[in-house]
Amino acid sequence: MNKALILANLHLHAVLPRLEELVKLDSEAKAIAQKLNLSIKFLVRGGPSVVLTFKDGNVTANTDGEGKADIGLLFLSCDQLNALFTGGKAIPIPYKGIIKIGAMKHFGKLTEMLTKYLKPSDEDMKDAAFRAKHVEMSLMTGLSGAITIAKYDTKMQKVVNHLPDGTILFSVLPDGPYANVSVERKNIIVKNGFIENSTTTLEMNGVDLAADMFADKLDTFAALGAGEIRASGLLTLGDEFNALVDRVSYYLV
Amino acid sequence: MSEYSFDKSVDMFTRATKVIPSGISGNKNPAFAVPGTFPYFAERGEGCKYWDVDGNEYIDYLLGYGPIVLGYNYKKIDEAADKQKKMGSAFNHPTERSVELAEKMVEIVPWADWAVFGRNGSDVTTYSIQIAREYTQKRKIIMAKGAYHGSHSWCTPGHGGLIDEDYRQVLSFTWNDATELEDLVKANEGDVAAIILTPYHHPAFADQVMPAPGFWADVRRICDENDIVLIADDVRAGFRLDIGGSGEYLGYKPDIACYCKAIANGYCMSSAVGRDKLKNAASKVFFTGTYYTSAIEIAAALATIEELQATNAIEHMMKMGTMLQEGLKAKAESHGLQVNITGPPTIPYMSFSNESNFRRSQLFSGEVAKRGAILHPHHNWFLSYSHKEADILKTLDIADECFGIVKKEFGS
Repeated sequence: MNKALILANLHLHAVLPRLEELVKLDSEAKAIAQKLNLSIKFLVRGGPSVVLTFKDGNVTANTDGEGKADIGLLFLSCDQLNALFTGGKAIPIPYKGIIKIGAMKHFGKLTEMLTKYLKPSDEDMKDAAFRAKHVEMSLMTGLSGAITIAKYDTKMQKVVNHLPDGTILFSVLPDGPYANVSVERKNIIVKNGFIENSTTTLEMNGVDLAADMFADKLDTFAALGAGEIRASGLLTLGDEFNALVDRVSYYLV
Repeated sequence: MSEYSFDKSVDMFTRATKVIPSGISGNKNPAFAVPGTFPYFAERGEGCKYWDVDGNEYIDYLLGYGPIVLGYNYKKIDEAADKQKKMGSAFNHPTERSVELAEKMVEIVPWADWAVFGRNGSDVTTYSIQIAREYTQKRKIIMAKGAYHGSHSWCTPGHGGLIDEDYRQVLSFTWNDATELEDLVKANEGDVAAIILTPYHHPAFADQVMPAPGFWADVRRICDENDIVLIADDVRAGFRLDIGGSGEYLGYKPDIACYCKAIANGYCMSSAVGRDKLKNAASKVFFTGTYYTSAIEIAAALATIEELQATNAIEHMMKMGTMLQEGLKAKAESHGLQVNITGPPTIPYMSFSNESNFRRSQLFSGEVAKRGAILHPHHNWFLSYSHKEADILKTLDIADECFGIVKKEFGS
């Protein structure tokens, strides 16, 4: 099992795509993103890639790495990329669009804001509005991260082999956020938003409870028994998928 | 029909979560049933009924997940246990009860030559694979996909606290697919120590599947041709199909069989029995636990087996189970609902035919519990000798009302 490869995949396919939610949830972030009408490709040699497209203040992340990019940044190794995300020094090689590289200062501001939401300070978490945004982004990070875990983490292959087909709706009550997962023959797709008639439903009773869950401060089975989390439908799907989500935090400490 | 509330159960659970991880661990955690419409804590039992901490009375078809085969608080068994209790239980040594029970096990299981005793099913399933490895000097274990053989690290369905090496030597195949099994054995030629199977397939969260004609004969042949020990995990079904073990009912003879659940009517006991050829290997496996030789439970097991024989309890359970199965099917059909009733009559399970996500089952089971019966939505049920016709009829009345609720919520 290549820990650096898994971590690089998580950074590019679970963390960085959260810019999609960031610019929707935070007006300051949106204003910055509006200055970035271009696309940036992050490419790791022997590892993952992603293309982030900024248009009119919105962001889309293409995690298969396909698509036109105005700026191309090459990381020579997974370790080099991971250093960038974990506070170390890492300077990628701009292999395309070097004349536009100045735009990266705006991008840097966005990633700082993203870090603020995904790794919040105790002070920030005192603010209810902030907590709600943190939960939405953490929910999508965890669920998206499960895709990487399922693909690359050999320890979790037993779980993957037991993963039944179906859809899961994750709801934070009373008003969201919502996210949904589709599993078909071990292939996992994660999307933001509500779906009807999910195979499995997991409802978390409030943003604060969800925040505790994502901070690994919650005894999930205790919460299920107490009715703070409500699970219904094909419980084995929820249980196996949550094992993958749980594993994400092993890497994204 | 009035509906129960579970306030004390929930309060007690909240109290428990402060000092017990998950509040209630494993499959007895409320998350595995229907949280909020199922009892969490029991208070007392009598016959086929028990009462929860809210004082709600239930006709029970889960029976402690199987052990209560004669009935809660069954006088003859408790008397045997009490008699031994007065003499003592946890000694430096086993008592004569151990020898008596081993003799009894060898007597009732026709092919068995020896017996040992543990406390839980996992004790003896793990012990059995160790014997197989010792006997064959091979590594791999084959089981059916989705089967449950206990909570030890080689077979637990859980996720926490495991490392790859725990289950690296455990392979699986699709139940009833003898060709897939044979291919798996060939692919691991010379390295398969044991095939461990339940008498029929009874995974949680799924319908039960009886063995296809010829399946067990194929398994036996594959084991014999490849020097593989055949282990029957009869922990759940043992003594509910035949007093000689489920192999007598289904027509197979394993090399080792594991029993627990019904062996002692609720006293914590398990047993492995085996053929003479494995006795030396068994003697080389260090098998012990602080309470493995405790005499109270062994006395209870002896009394339970004798009572099962004396009362012809299995035949009674078959009759009551058939009445329950047929009654549920008829009640469901009267509401325009289709249900699958699977497994033998003494260990039935019901699911709704037109769904795979258990939502109808969860609503049905929750509503049934609120009206005084326990029919688990995700796990097979059990009959006991204490279930009488009146209990089945009352259960069917409850089910009738609850099928109506399912129909109203989901349509057909």
